[in-house]
Amino acid sequence: MRDKIVYLLGAAAIVIFVRDIYLAAGLPEEASQGAIFKIIFFHVPMAFAAIGASFTALVASILFLVTRNFQYDALAVSVTEVGLALLAGNLITGSIWGHVIWGVWWAWDARLTSALVCWLLYAGYMMLRRAIEEPTQRATFAAVFSIFAFIDVPIVVFSIKWWRTQHPQPVFWGGGSFPPDWSVIFWWNVLAMMLFGVVLTMARLRQEDAQRELDAMRRMAHAF
Amino acid sequence: MRYLLLAQLTSDDVAREIARLQRNYQFLSYGMIVAWVIVVVYVLLLVGREKKLKREIASLKVMLEEKQK
Repeated sequence: MRDKIVYLLGAAAIVIFVRDIYLAAGLPEEASQGAIFKIIFFHVPMAFAAIGASFTALVASILFLVTRNFQYDALAVSVTEVGLALLAGNLITGSIWGHVIWGVWWAWDARLTSALVCWLLYAGYMMLRRAIEEPTQRATFAAVFSIFAFIDVPIVVFSIKWWRTQHPQPVFWGGGSFPPDWSVIFWWNVLAMMLFGVVLTMARLRQEDAQRELDAMRRMAHAF
Repeated sequence: MRYLLLAQLTSDDVAREIARLQRNYQFLSYGMIVAWVIVVVYVLLLVGREKKLKREIASLKVMLEEKQK
């Protein structure tokens, strides 16, 4: 049943993506930036999905520390890994946009730097998990680290409000706006990216279950 | 008025605008490709990891069954 849900959600996400790429290709070019502006249809949804992933990791980590249920630890690691991939996509597409509009691949402004720090923190979370053998200790340390890492997420989100950055001001909550037909495609793409994140997380979660089964079998093999 | 402005354009201006448009589309396609490559590579990593886990579980099952005999 879970497999069917994963395939169904994945298929829905792909259909929405294909439809949106087709529709976005038909939109006129943005007046000052030209065609490169259309990268926003992937850059921002990836950021939204990555933020959703880090928030889910935060909640799962807190729940693990409260209940000591390893399902929450599995959810935290799965969603963090997916978020890391999405944030990498966000950083790279942003860098490509910056190269065309600013003339440089990277600028050390508050938004870009805090986003990179966020990526490094969650990469550190994944490395920390690999470094600890004992499962309970690994899950506890990782949960505490995940809560600590989340502190950077509001800094990433609000950095463009708190400081003067080279990164553009927010389009939707900073006085800017999208034409209605652009908004529809954009929000559908956000939904598709979220769905895709859920699909990848569910697939990764299944691997965590398999890994736990494998660990239990290894313990049994040692006991014989 | 529009025709007056168009008349002031030189062939260099037109060539520059065409180059700008091409560069814009070129980098937009890079962005799209990178976004999809990241997703595809991650999915392939997941598939590879799943196959490895299944293989390890199967071999351990066989080992445990042999030990129980």
